[in-house]
Amino acid sequence: VQDRHSDNSHLALQAKHTEQHEGRLYNIPLEELSAVFPHGLPHRFQQQVLTFNEARVMVRKPALELLAYLKGSNFSHPAVRYVIYGERGTGKTMTLCHVVHYCSRQGWLVLHIPDAHLWVKNCKELLQSSYNKDRLDQPLQASVWLKNFKASNERFLQEIKTQKKYMWGKRECTEEGRPLREVVEQGLARVRSASDAVGVLLRELKQQSHRGSFRLLVAVDGVNALWGRSTLRKEDKSPVCPEELTLVHNLRKMLMNDWSGGAIVTTLSQTGSLFKPSSAYTPQELLGKEGFDALDPFVPIPVPNYSPKEFESCYGYYLERRWLQHEKGQGWGGKRGMRVLGLELVSSKWAKKLDKLNTDFCTHRDAQSFAVPSVSLQGPRTFPPCASGLISSVCPCTPRVST
Amino acid sequence: MAARAGRCCRAGLSCGALLSPALLSPAVLSRAPATPRWGRAAFSSAPAVSGREGPQAREGSVRRRGRTLQFVRSAAPPRTERMAVDQDWSSVYPTAAAFKPASVPLPIRMGYPVKGGVPPPKEGNLELIKIPNFLHLTPPAIKKHCAALKDFCTEWPSALDSDEKCEQHFPIEIETVDYVSSGTSIRNPKARVVTLRVKLSSLNLDDHAKKKLIKLVGERYCQETDVLTITTDRCPLRRQNYDYSMHLLTVLYHESWKTEKWESEKSEEDMEEYVWENSHSQKNALDTLLRIKASENVSNVTKEELLASEVVKNYRNSVIALKNEGETESNISQYKESVKKLLNIQA
Repeated sequence: VQDRHSDNSHLALQAKHTEQHEGRLYNIPLEELSAVFPHGLPHRFQQQVLTFNEARVMVRKPALELLAYLKGSNFSHPAVRYVIYGERGTGKTMTLCHVVHYCSRQGWLVLHIPDAHLWVKNCKELLQSSYNKDRLDQPLQASVWLKNFKASNERFLQEIKTQKKYMWGKRECTEEGRPLREVVEQGLARVRSASDAVGVLLRELKQQSHRGSFRLLVAVDGVNALWGRSTLRKEDKSPVCPEELTLVHNLRKMLMNDWSGGAIVTTLSQTGSLFKPSSAYTPQELLGKEGFDALDPFVPIPVPNYSPKEFESCYGYYLERRWLQHEKGQGWGGKRGMRVLGLELVSSKWAKKLDKLNTDFCTHRDAQSFAVPSVSLQGPRTFPPCASGLISSVCPCTPRVST
Repeated sequence: MAARAGRCCRAGLSCGALLSPALLSPAVLSRAPATPRWGRAAFSSAPAVSGREGPQAREGSVRRRGRTLQFVRSAAPPRTERMAVDQDWSSVYPTAAAFKPASVPLPIRMGYPVKGGVPPPKEGNLELIKIPNFLHLTPPAIKKHCAALKDFCTEWPSALDSDEKCEQHFPIEIETVDYVSSGTSIRNPKARVVTLRVKLSSLNLDDHAKKKLIKLVGERYCQETDVLTITTDRCPLRRQNYDYSMHLLTVLYHESWKTEKWESEKSEEDMEEYVWENSHSQKNALDTLLRIKASENVSNVTKEELLASEVVKNYRNSVIALKNEGETESNISQYKESVKKLLNIQA
């Protein structure tokens, strides 16, 4: 158990994750985490980071495969598109985050769109675009994304210069040769032009990536949102097609493989998608005809549930962190005289039930009142440390932040 | 004694078991509304009446019921006990008849079971009487029917001894139904319906004609069995409907061979299956390859050369399989391999 969870972060630094590390968890220091991932981590993983006070990412085969492709790719060729797909809760977003972390450690410029679905639904403000009358701007979404992008890529924004003069409205403009940081700040300051700022940013990056001064990684989570339907409506209650949104339009252009000097890694996601059945997970089902034709030819990368080895690793990790407790293991029986729960794996449904025993000590009697199902191999998401309030209910004495 | 025992038999216990009356509890008796052959059936057979004080079957006993006197006669044992195993069943049930429990020597139970019990037995079981039965159509009975009909039949041609030969010589199947009922009229309006079935593989159709025919007939064509079914009933007579269906087939055949001017406007949505040529996929692949070649400074590579290359052919096949057959694990992995070869990605 010990060596499984030893700090392999130095290996990540040298980008030396190979097949032998499969199933192991490597650590990302927390400062780096907030720098690389201002947005984009799955919610459950964020809660796990808060609970355990460390960020451990499991090294899995799909991520290793992707990293191997990226290492061996020819950057003078057009950017290759990789589409990560898989059933719900199998770890697609975590694979994407692993790749993003690797690339940022390697010094790439990472253009990470955390969830493209957020751009096609629940948008309070839709403004008519000043650049193109037919399109609609989304100032809030654009400004939020610009803020996060700026937080993770400060260095590049200073180095890369614009190649054209851009007019924001009648009076303001950004001259040629200014650092891109000014474009971003313009978008943040004038929220109305945030969407156009995003468009300018994407355009500049695309045009300059082939020069070789930086490598560009375009990471989009939930790429099927760009070619799906949206629930937004215009003022006359007519539905909005995604291509009428400036952000979506510009991102679609970014995902074309007419630029070189980087790679495009995307994820398909059914959760959060609109008008797609919950059983859909394959590329054609989620992307539709239009999306498939736009992304074709891409390399599909399937992400399966945990293999037995990965399962053992994750289980061992939670045992080690004392999240799951075992009767026979290092019990907590002693001081408080509490009986320890001997638990098999809890699915999130049961974990939520256990969560309700909030402040009471979870005695053996109480535990027996739940028939805990025994479990066959589950996927990553049925291990929700966040949903299981075990620690808080069993041991109120355990500090939330372990030292 | 035997008669008494026989009657007790019918009182809800398994048939054929002889029980002494001493073992019988009044409750058992009260549960059984036995259907006697004579006499008491005319009066209500409410079980409560034949309850505890009820008459044990006594031959020739007299019972006072209300103001009238009644002679209670014992019921004879059912006919099933006297049936031989190898009897001629078609004489027991020569025609369609209701279910008679005393004539059917089978221990059938039917109905919703009592709580903790079993479905009710066949004696006095209205459910069994209500439903249609085919006791008159057992295989030996059918054999007898066939033997009787044989004199009216002609011989099957000896040359047509297999299904394939039948299909080859007689590709069109006509189905008509004749109705016979007991009534004053021999006419039945349902008898005019004619169903024509033909396999498209037996018709002389080229690719375009077949697709056009399938589009014209719509629902009437079954993809799995390649059978076109035309059902006609718009004319009052069967012969007229038959002529009409043959006319329809002829018209369909000839029309599908013709090519109209507007058929050239057939778009991608109208296509029955995915065609890779002139598709987005082909365009994307060619563009990508041209860009790759340009980046390597390899010029004067023509589109035809690219299209003829092995990797592109591989890619084409995988995309066609993916689109036509749907997405399976093998299809997707084949597509992945072909894209890796196309874009020259090394792990």
